[in-house]
Amino acid sequence: MRRKVVSLILAATMLTTILTGCGSKASTTATDNTNETATSSEASATPKASGELDTSEEVNLTMYVISDRPAGQDVVDENINKILKEKLNCTLTINWIPWSDYPNKYPLLFSSGEAFDMAYTGSWLNFTSLAQKGAFMNLDELWPAYAPKNFAAQSEAAQQQATVDGHYYCVPTMLATYSAYGPVYRTDLLDGTNWDGKMENFEDLEKYLDLIKEKHPEMEPLDIYSAGSELDDNYLWSLGYMSSKGANNDFLFFNPEEANPKLFTFYECKDTTPFLDMMARWNEKGFYPKSALSDTDATKTQNGKSAVRVHNLDTFAGYSTTHREFAYSYANFVKHVRHFPYTQDAMVISNTSQNPERALAVWDLITSDREMFDAFMYGVEGTTYTLNEEGQYLITDPDQYAGSAMWSARTNELNRDAVGTPELFGEMKQEFEKAIAADDTAEKYASFVIDTSNIETEYAACQSVHQQYWWPLELGYTDAKTGLAEYQKQMEAAGLEKVRTELQGQLDAYVAALQ
Amino acid sequence: MSVHLKNFLKEWKKNRPLFIMTIPALFLIIVFAYLPMSGLILAFKNYRYDLGVFGSAWNGLENFRYLFSSGTGWLITKNTCLYNILNLLTSQLLAIVIAIFITEINQKVFKKITQSVIFLPYFISWVIVGTFVYAFFNYETGFLNHIITSFGGEGVNLYSMPGVWPYIICAFNAWKWCGYNSVIYIAAITGVDSETYEAAAIDGASIFQRIRYITIPCIKPTVITMILLQVGRILRGDFEMFYQIIGNNGQLFNATDVIDTYVFRSLLQNSNLGMSAAASFYQSLLCFIIIMIVNTVVKHIDEDYALF
Repeated sequence: MRRKVVSLILAATMLTTILTGCGSKASTTATDNTNETATSSEASATPKASGELDTSEEVNLTMYVISDRPAGQDVVDENINKILKEKLNCTLTINWIPWSDYPNKYPLLFSSGEAFDMAYTGSWLNFTSLAQKGAFMNLDELWPAYAPKNFAAQSEAAQQQATVDGHYYCVPTMLATYSAYGPVYRTDLLDGTNWDGKMENFEDLEKYLDLIKEKHPEMEPLDIYSAGSELDDNYLWSLGYMSSKGANNDFLFFNPEEANPKLFTFYECKDTTPFLDMMARWNEKGFYPKSALSDTDATKTQNGKSAVRVHNLDTFAGYSTTHREFAYSYANFVKHVRHFPYTQDAMVISNTSQNPERALAVWDLITSDREMFDAFMYGVEGTTYTLNEEGQYLITDPDQYAGSAMWSARTNELNRDAVGTPELFGEMKQEFEKAIAADDTAEKYASFVIDTSNIETEYAACQSVHQQYWWPLELGYTDAKTGLAEYQKQMEAAGLEKVRTELQGQLDAYVAALQ
Repeated sequence: MSVHLKNFLKEWKKNRPLFIMTIPALFLIIVFAYLPMSGLILAFKNYRYDLGVFGSAWNGLENFRYLFSSGTGWLITKNTCLYNILNLLTSQLLAIVIAIFITEINQKVFKKITQSVIFLPYFISWVIVGTFVYAFFNYETGFLNHIITSFGGEGVNLYSMPGVWPYIICAFNAWKWCGYNSVIYIAAITGVDSETYEAAAIDGASIFQRIRYITIPCIKPTVITMILLQVGRILRGDFEMFYQIIGNNGQLFNATDVIDTYVFRSLLQNSNLGMSAAASFYQSLLCFIIIMIVNTVVKHIDEDYALF
């Protein structure tokens, strides 16, 4: 009898261990939500703002950023707190979410009920969807009242982009970035050949890759790894089309040159076949490995294994400053350059914040005051960074220190380039500004943001099909004809038509509002 | 009721120390396994951060729809089950063989070294394994193709051949886990009375006869318990393994996608907690059904071997 009872308890214990395994995913989200329900009604209403900041009480603010915490961050924090204590009677704790954890940890930040004040966000972290699901505080009154300098300095487009369903939910960056995309390529590799140095379109790129293949057979000429190829987007952009979601890895495009643009996908586009033919040829020529999609090495162009990576202007600047031994150059292939949405990098106030007024005041100070900005972004001058005559910064010891990961604090006025930033970088930016001023074909769509909340199921299914069938196809791994037919079949089954109908409606509404 | 209560009180009096010893464990299970189960209702809700789990609106089976739209649900469920059955059989079988061999080794130093070497892969993370799988099999510079071409053969691009990956994955899984699993079997074999072996040896039993007629019957209960425990996890793919070895290689997905990788890929981009809870709920439910069926079958054959 005794034996039986003991074994029963043991069995129960085992069974529950099995079930624990099964239930664990939900457990993290479930624990703390009860106390959040209480605050919800108050949070969904617009917080009232008097405009008068009361700094009599000392508070500690918490901020979340995504990156790995630098080893020597303590010195930087101490310095920030010294200034903040004096100016706004508060201190700031910066919490770092490591790169390895962010996909799981970041959404849970807002469901855990933890009280914190500020967090980094961006369109790549699903800012819009999180805002619609009530993760952030409504800033309609707080932002202009407690961060007046910041609010006044924001462009109209940025303010519009910070709006979700008619309310402000984030404070966007004030650093302009551009939709320019194209090859970051090494010029030193072809010294001593008869290369003409021309790099304006995909034919030039192919010529360049041919020469690299010939002269440096040990290299993988074109940098492609497991994150997929970005040539498909770049190819369509070079023809003047735009992606519906405004970023890479999209499956619905439109032509901004048309008065009432219609969304289309790859198998409906006449330019897809020439593109796939080109990629099949490139694959045949061995410009990239036949198993690139399983290669996790993301640093092939930096470490000299590849000669070209198709990416953005900032990547070009980054490579040039960190690897000055290589001569990188850059070309933009996008036909109509526009500003990226300023919500590319943004700051949000959490629904659980106890001191949103003070948090915004701190943000106002960081984004308008030179001393505070430098202390926040780069640390302590002489210890963590140094400046040259042109005001460019250099991190003294990259193993110990790094710039802040709160990229949304950067502004056009205050941001510094790193020492070694190529002149081409600044020149190109000016060129883009000029081009945008002259041609607003794409710029007028800069604030168009798709809302997938009504089609989440279909959208997720389409994304998954796109990755499974299009990624190998666009690299020429699968046969163009049969591959495209299979892709079409799967996309239709995943519900592309429903996605298209919904997004076309949003695009039409946007176009109507423009006029 | 009173009869049950009386029985319970009688048991309590009789086995008080045992009951007290289980209290911490029971407490942990209630807190970490039963309370969080209430979070499963998330699978049926349209989750909003400001309303929380209990305040969000119900949305029926909407969250489950994406799993089964376009027929993927069936494919990934099938893959997950088949992979786990294959992995379960190979890794347990190898573990038993290894355990028997190791216990038969007499030379002490050699025995320890062998065991450590076999155990070592357990400590290597899948991230690293993924890197050297790529170094082994990639088309241009892979070790395998180097060997093939140096013998005058034609290189093979395994990364476009979905059919071979179940075997590759199964082999790496066995390589990683068999050392770890063998520890339990070694313990079970060590527990067998050595006099039995001596008696058998005197009676002229060969080493294989001893293994066949003494070792294997003696560890049978352990084998069954281990398998039953593994069966409970059959709907959970080892996410890390699949993700690190296959990466984003769409060409292999039909042969290598398991529920966890599919959910991870499709939800990374839209952070919908309701949908991931739905996938989790689906897995849990199937796990529960499978473990109940298997346990009932085992119980039917021999009650002593059943888990509960």
